[in-house]
Amino acid sequence: MHTVSFRINGQLQTVTVAATTTLLEVIRDRLHLTGTKEGCGIGECGACTVLLDGAPVTSCLILAAEVDGASIETIEGEAKNGQLSDLQQAFVDAGAVQCGFCTPGMIMSARGLLGRNPDPPDEEIVEAISGNLCRCTGYEAIVEAIKLAVKRKRGEYS
Amino acid sequence: MLGDFEYARAHSVDEVCKLLQEGKGDALAYAGGTDLLVDIRNGVRSPKLLVDIKGIEPLRGLDVGDPGEPIAIGPAVFLNRIAEHADLRGRHPALGDAALSIATYQLRNRATIGGNLCNASPASDSIPPLLVVSATLSIQGPAGSREVPLDCFCTGVKKTCLEPGEIVTEIRIPPIAPGTRTAFLKQQRIRGHDLAVVNLAGALSPDDGLLRLAVGSCTPTPLLLEPIETAGHAAEAVVEEAERWVAAGISPISDVRASAEYRRAVLPGLVRQLVAGLMNGKGGA
Repeated sequence: MHTVSFRINGQLQTVTVAATTTLLEVIRDRLHLTGTKEGCGIGECGACTVLLDGAPVTSCLILAAEVDGASIETIEGEAKNGQLSDLQQAFVDAGAVQCGFCTPGMIMSARGLLGRNPDPPDEEIVEAISGNLCRCTGYEAIVEAIKLAVKRKRGEYS
Repeated sequence: MLGDFEYARAHSVDEVCKLLQEGKGDALAYAGGTDLLVDIRNGVRSPKLLVDIKGIEPLRGLDVGDPGEPIAIGPAVFLNRIAEHADLRGRHPALGDAALSIATYQLRNRATIGGNLCNASPASDSIPPLLVVSATLSIQGPAGSREVPLDCFCTGVKKTCLEPGEIVTEIRIPPIAPGTRTAFLKQQRIRGHDLAVVNLAGALSPDDGLLRLAVGSCTPTPLLLEPIETAGHAAEAVVEEAERWVAAGISPISDVRASAEYRRAVLPGLVRQLVAGLMNGKGGA
């Protein structure tokens, strides 16, 4: 067994896991942060996307044993004090959520993007979510939502 | 839960080699895991021990140096770092484009260049652009170190010349002559992320006027063609020569991604686009 300590949404956690346990399993089954979803389990769909030290990764293909000392952000870290984050509010306002299964992964990919470029061009937005599959709304509303969050940050309210 | 294995984080190359040797075939070097964990989940491979090499600092180095100097890339360098490295992209655009074409943004934050090489897929995107600049691999194992030209590294579909206990410790690109142009093209089934139906890399050196081409996904291991002379030849003549050499060198099969006939049919267009571009000044820094 491996004892690993990491920060998740700012909170320090220590868990003891088998080598075969994935980061996704720890997030969902041990820490009960079930906003992060398992879609395919092989890194294809992006539903399990979280930020690992600021970088979007698919948590289904990372072993929990690997993340000792890391800092992880999940969808639960977005809203603060009952207030939706800029991206969450933009997804609501742009109608970018239908069934909602892909949404946490989409928002974490977008969060990673805004972390490395607060004012990304459209191509960068599309590339940033290219690893997140949505089967309901189509991608346009999602891209619009991310653009809306960027615009609002710039002070161009709409 | 994925299979039944133990995990060890190695702190030195010697430690990796020792663990791999002790584990015989049941211990595997583990980098990004984006291929290996999927294989384990699908029951394709069932190692008893994964030896994580990502914490070993020398394996994460990326030294591009100045123009005219060799480039050294550690096997545990993540693909996004290669795709986003401006100096590396300036010197060898084909490698940056190839790295960018692999999988998705999230996977490239974990997938490593060494993993892509050692997976030894016929459709590897990183191998053709490294072949056309004559990359060599430093390999270390229980018996010591050796250098292997990348062209001799893959020995078959998903097979390499690595002996038990050996790992790749560095990917070395000899000096790329200033003015060299390189390019990478990939045919996919969809516009999103996909493995290559075929891929193609080229490098045109201003010093000797030689055009080096490498083709992926059309032979059991990526194919490096004999250099083609371009000095004194019109672009169209070089394109036709390249098309002939490529057609003669490949032996595509039909698989889940495309038929052999489709691969043969689609390649000349890619060859034309890539070679004409290089001949007309594209692919420079």
